[in-house]
Amino acid sequence: MDSRPIRQARHPANLEAMNDVLVGRALTKRFGQTVALGGVDITIGAAEAVAIMGPSGSGKSTLLHCLAGIMKPDGGEVSLLGRRIDTMRERERSALRRTRFGFVFQFGQLLPELPAEENVALPLMLGGVPRTQAVRQAREWFAPLGLHTMETRRPGELSGGQAQRVAIARALVSRPAVVFADEPTGALDQRTGHDTMRLLVEATRHNGASLIVVTHDQNVASWCDRTVEVRDGLLLVPGGVGA
Amino acid sequence: MNLDLTWRLLKGGGRRGLLGAWLTLGAVAVSTALLLFAVAVNFAFAARADRGAWRNPVPAEAGAVAIEAARFDFVGDQVITVVDLAALDARAAAGARPPGMPRLPAPGEVWLSPALAELARKLPADQLAERYPDPAGVLGDEALVYPGELVAVVGHAPDAPAMTAAGTRDGALGKGPAKVADLTGTPSEDSEAYRALTLVASVLMVVPLLVFGGAAARLTVARRDWRLAALRLVGATPGQVVRMTVAEAVIVALAGALLGAAAYAAAAPLLAGIPIAGGSWFVSDVLPGPLPLAAVLAGVPLLVGLSAVVGLRRVVVSPLGVAKRETPPAMRFVRVLALFAVLAAFPLLTRGTSIGIVAVALGLAFLCVNLAGPWVVSLIGRITAGSARRPAGLLAGRRLVDDPRSAWRTVSGVALTGFVAGFIGLLSPSAFAGDGEPPQLLVSAPAGQAEAVAGQARDRLRAAGVRATVRVSRRGTGDALVATALGSYADPATIDRARTALTGLMPGRTPTTRADDERFATQLLADIRMGTTVVLSVSFLVAIASAGITAASSILDRRQTYALLRLAGTPLEVLDRARRAETLVPLTVMGGGAILVGVFCAMPFMIGGMSVAGAITLGACVVVGFGGVVGAGALSRPLLRSVTADPAPRPD
Ligand SMILES: Nc1ncnc2c1ncn2[C@@H]1O[C@H](COP(=O)(O)OP(=O)(O)O)[C@@H](O)[C@H]1O
Ligand SMILES: [Mg+2]
Repeated sequence: MDSRPIRQARHPANLEAMNDVLVGRALTKRFGQTVALGGVDITIGAAEAVAIMGPSGSGKSTLLHCLAGIMKPDGGEVSLLGRRIDTMRERERSALRRTRFGFVFQFGQLLPELPAEENVALPLMLGGVPRTQAVRQAREWFAPLGLHTMETRRPGELSGGQAQRVAIARALVSRPAVVFADEPTGALDQRTGHDTMRLLVEATRHNGASLIVVTHDQNVASWCDRTVEVRDGLLLVPGGVGA
Repeated sequence: MNLDLTWRLLKGGGRRGLLGAWLTLGAVAVSTALLLFAVAVNFAFAARADRGAWRNPVPAEAGAVAIEAARFDFVGDQVITVVDLAALDARAAAGARPPGMPRLPAPGEVWLSPALAELARKLPADQLAERYPDPAGVLGDEALVYPGELVAVVGHAPDAPAMTAAGTRDGALGKGPAKVADLTGTPSEDSEAYRALTLVASVLMVVPLLVFGGAAARLTVARRDWRLAALRLVGATPGQVVRMTVAEAVIVALAGALLGAAAYAAAAPLLAGIPIAGGSWFVSDVLPGPLPLAAVLAGVPLLVGLSAVVGLRRVVVSPLGVAKRETPPAMRFVRVLALFAVLAAFPLLTRGTSIGIVAVALGLAFLCVNLAGPWVVSLIGRITAGSARRPAGLLAGRRLVDDPRSAWRTVSGVALTGFVAGFIGLLSPSAFAGDGEPPQLLVSAPAGQAEAVAGQARDRLRAAGVRATVRVSRRGTGDALVATALGSYADPATIDRARTALTGLMPGRTPTTRADDERFATQLLADIRMGTTVVLSVSFLVAIASAGITAASSILDRRQTYALLRLAGTPLEVLDRARRAETLVPLTVMGGGAILVGVFCAMPFMIGGMSVAGAITLGACVVVGFGGVVGAGALSRPLLRSVTADPAPRPD
């Protein structure tokens, strides 16, 4: 495989297709001397699942954080459905993350004292949905994700895989446009990891949401529509320039 | 032990790691200083009791060397302790040296304490000095209960009337002559009562202090658990991990304890100025002895270490540092039953019940409030969570149910102080209102001699130029009262001149006004009020600091979840509101409940209605407690902001 770092240019900047949901252009980010992102262009289509791979420290999380509006890039632009989000104030970005994005992290994102169903209902309640309705809506996610009878268990009473599936339900419950997952199975054994990852890909696709998932697992990447490789803050494009 | 690694961990903890260590250090220093105070006051009162013991003669069966009597005299609004002494056998008495004097006083000799000598010089002679003419010497500090105490030692011949008289008319106002084998004496009942009350006060202060120390220890652990989990991942054994963290906590605690001891020593002169039982303190009295000091300095780090071990269990169990939290077992209702059982016993107590039993009952009620606390908190949590419509209420309620003990820890200090405030609030009536009756000096005399004594009194008063009418008022049997009425407009100086003129009228007895007789009760009430203020100040300081520390450590404990929630778009205000509700809801219910329980426990001992002073104290407590806890919680808001501001939470 002949790979060399270049800036990805899948779409010319002025020709954003209507079904491009999230677009990052010329993204740069430094931490002191470290260049975490060296100018990245990336476009995520509607209901597209994109795997981000690369060695540790290569800038995968930083890219994810910039795209999700968690971090402001030093340079470049991020737009969601044609709207710039990198220039928004923290309050707006926070609201955006709550309503338009879903997140699955490695672990520790569930509140230990809330039963599983309330953990899932929380984003809805934050969005103003009345509690009973929020919980009812949340419960609908349990059976499809293989979590039947787990509704009232608390995170401490769930296995790692079950907890991640609850997290997936929580990420999807508010019908987000994009789901971000940063090594969501990193703390699971390989088998459980595969099962969980497959559920994540299928569930997001089924819901019409785009998925950006950071993973180290080549197999996982194969379930996604596309894989991008990150090396030293730049995207590698397989086979040379263009796609 | 990996002391070297521990030390590097402590130093290399980064800025936020050090913040935890500093907070712990400060908290341990504060609690050590207060603990030293709570311990030292007991020794201080014991030292007073011991130094005052020689004026409380123990009658000797055999081998008597001297006769001793003690009574009280008054000048202005101050009390003078007068000790009458007579050597029985000059040779044997040579060994029986009263404290603060080189020898027993010779007949007719008078020794005064420095403050009394000074006062006698300052006041006109006919008001004070003439009562104790030609002082032969000044008493040393060993003879005094407190620095400015007014004491006179008067020497007599063994057959002098003062040494053979049948004692004063009221046992509480002195001790009649007794033959003694030495001048050691025994601590007076009053001083024992003060010691008992002090013990109760100490218990009230120590319980929240211990809770506070534990919370402080958990703070170090909270900062460390991630790094320790990482150490576990690289293969450190649980034993090593525990030893390192505990060593770290103990090092910090020891430094904090030393700092606290230094702070206490620095504050000792100030504390010594707090007047109790008539005067301020010798600084050496409020400094704890080497043994209690060593015990506190060793005990505090030990407790902190223990609490660190308990806090660490979690990390050691799971290398990933993930809290394995399960549905907690429901709090047992028995806890509340225990409280009701103890409360049911309170109406059986009366004002006549001995202080020991009251102290035990009070301690039990206190413990039971503490036991019932978590149960009630978890009930409140269930109600809050069940009825919550918004996320903040739901989060707060679930958290209360999840860990009612930790929520109780946050508010227990204030709630228990509320109990104390409720209890004492009722018991501090305003001082006796002066009844405005014209002053008269009363002295008792055997019925047969009363008329003669009255005549003598008239002569003496006339000679001294004091206008007064002297009457004999009979009592049922035995003694009669000789009453010297001084007229409505007699000023304090006139009263003192009359007292001086009547000195020695009845040997061994002091003419007193009604106000003099009530002075001890008034003093006791004033002391209780002072003690209450001190205990409440300490409890509130601890309670508020404790609430602040607990708030901080609960943020640190859950910083990953908080950070991830924030990343997922949860507004900081929701997290903060949940945190506030988590404290305020139980605080309101428990604080209010504890005050009511305290009031209930105080009911059997109430003297008349609730006093204005008590109501003000209570109200102030409510305001200060509430405001303090809210303020302490608000202080940790920047911490919440900082732990959630980090976009990529990682082990530090
Ligand atoms: N908050 C931060 N402060 C300093 N350096 C950071 C921070 N976050 C990431 N980095 C650095 O930026 C680079 C990329 O990090 P990251 O995006 O987390 O990598 P990855 O997720 O691919 O492992 C690394 O060298 C990392 O050390
Ligand atoms: Mg990463």
